[in-house]
Amino acid sequence: MTRWWSCFRTALRFALIEQARNRLALLIVVLFVPLWATLAFTVVARTPLRFRIRSVGRTVVMDGNIVVQINGALQALSLVIAFMMFVATARSALFDQRLVRAGYPRSCLALAKCTALVLVSVLVAAYATAWMRLFWRPEQPWLLAAGMFTGALIYGGIGIVLAAVLRSELAGMFLAIMISSIDLVLQNPLVNPNADSPVVRFLPACAAVQTSVTAGGLQVVPTSCLLLGMGWAVGMTALGMAAFAVRTRTHRPRTTQGNLAGVEQAAPVP
Amino acid sequence: MGDAVVSAGEPVLRIRDVCKSYRRRPVLRGVSLDLRAGQLVGIVGENGAGKSTLLRILVGDLAADRGVVERVGVLGSCPQDAVLHQAFSVDQHLRFFQAAYGMAGLDRAFELLEQLHFSSYRNERVAALSGGTRQKLNLVLALMHDPQVLLLDEPYQGFDWETYLRFWDLAAALRDRGCAVLVVSHLAYDASRLDTLYRLQAGVLQETEQTGSEAVPV
Repeated sequence: MTRWWSCFRTALRFALIEQARNRLALLIVVLFVPLWATLAFTVVARTPLRFRIRSVGRTVVMDGNIVVQINGALQALSLVIAFMMFVATARSALFDQRLVRAGYPRSCLALAKCTALVLVSVLVAAYATAWMRLFWRPEQPWLLAAGMFTGALIYGGIGIVLAAVLRSELAGMFLAIMISSIDLVLQNPLVNPNADSPVVRFLPACAAVQTSVTAGGLQVVPTSCLLLGMGWAVGMTALGMAAFAVRTRTHRPRTTQGNLAGVEQAAPVP
Repeated sequence: MGDAVVSAGEPVLRIRDVCKSYRRRPVLRGVSLDLRAGQLVGIVGENGAGKSTLLRILVGDLAADRGVVERVGVLGSCPQDAVLHQAFSVDQHLRFFQAAYGMAGLDRAFELLEQLHFSSYRNERVAALSGGTRQKLNLVLALMHDPQVLLLDEPYQGFDWETYLRFWDLAAALRDRGCAVLVVSHLAYDASRLDTLYRLQAGVLQETEQTGSEAVPV
């Protein structure tokens, strides 16, 4: 096994341990998702709501409590994953810098963080989908999970980006809540009867919402939605990783293999 | 790890005319220093004199505005604030840095834990450690790969008296192994333990007279 793979495996193991140690986030996932799914399904009115699926050019009519449950589940996932990734990135910033300075391949650390994000998003999306499935039968459960996964991935990337530009955890969480609220409230047809406004398509979780609602009520796969969602997720994560690379950069002094005694001309420090 | 073969007495770190300003406030105004293998050197200076800035330039955290830094051999550095991860145990830190340094085993790290008397904390998470024990781990992470150039920023803060003495024994042992050790502090007790002591004042490094076992006023 090459050193790179060995370093990647170590980094991934520790990235997952780091996430597992975030007890508050795990508690929110374990308790909040079922609580929300139950409350949304039982308390919200069943009044049918129309929802426009732009990518396939169709309108789906679903019970209001189901649409709200989907939208709320996405909001819960997005917030919790943004929180997890924000906290993990912010708290390990200086430690990562020290590791890189000590010789740890930066690409291993970055890739391990991305892989941890994907794995955590898969687990959380599957968990939320399983809970929703207890209340109603989506037309395409796998697509519903894919929609949830996309939302989690996008907001995980947003969490990484926020951690790169903010120092305070409070400020990070506040911004994540604000972004997620604007994003998902505008796409909730119960709150906003004009939820299919063209402006909405520019919101981060638009693709995730459209995919999830399609999965709930239609038998088509909105490929362009899935691709758009992946584009957002990759874009956000790439931004976060670029910030990670900038933060962990080193200004290495000139190192010499022989001795310094005979060195007369030396390069200036950048 | 790219080890270079260095003989005792050979220069391993050369600093020439390093300058650094924060906005328009100059902190370092042409610092020059040679550090040789098997030498234990101290730098003292008031709070804010630029000691940490100089060390950050030497380890590559910060770019100097002007000047030259050259180094031979593997570097170890211990930052002033213990840079550790709250979520990981002592053992997990060692494993992570084992991978970073590309080390085959952790024998040297375990030996250092023994020397600093905290082997029993190996499975404890950093969040549960006292400030002094965190500082011990901070130091072990800088030493475990047997560096040839060692830069220590206030390495004994938070240590009790016994640990403080053990630190100096360790520093002397490293010097005897041929390691070049640079200790930076706002005051230097036991200046007699150092081969050379410099004072960083007004952004310039000046060699001071040794004052025996007393503290050097700054």
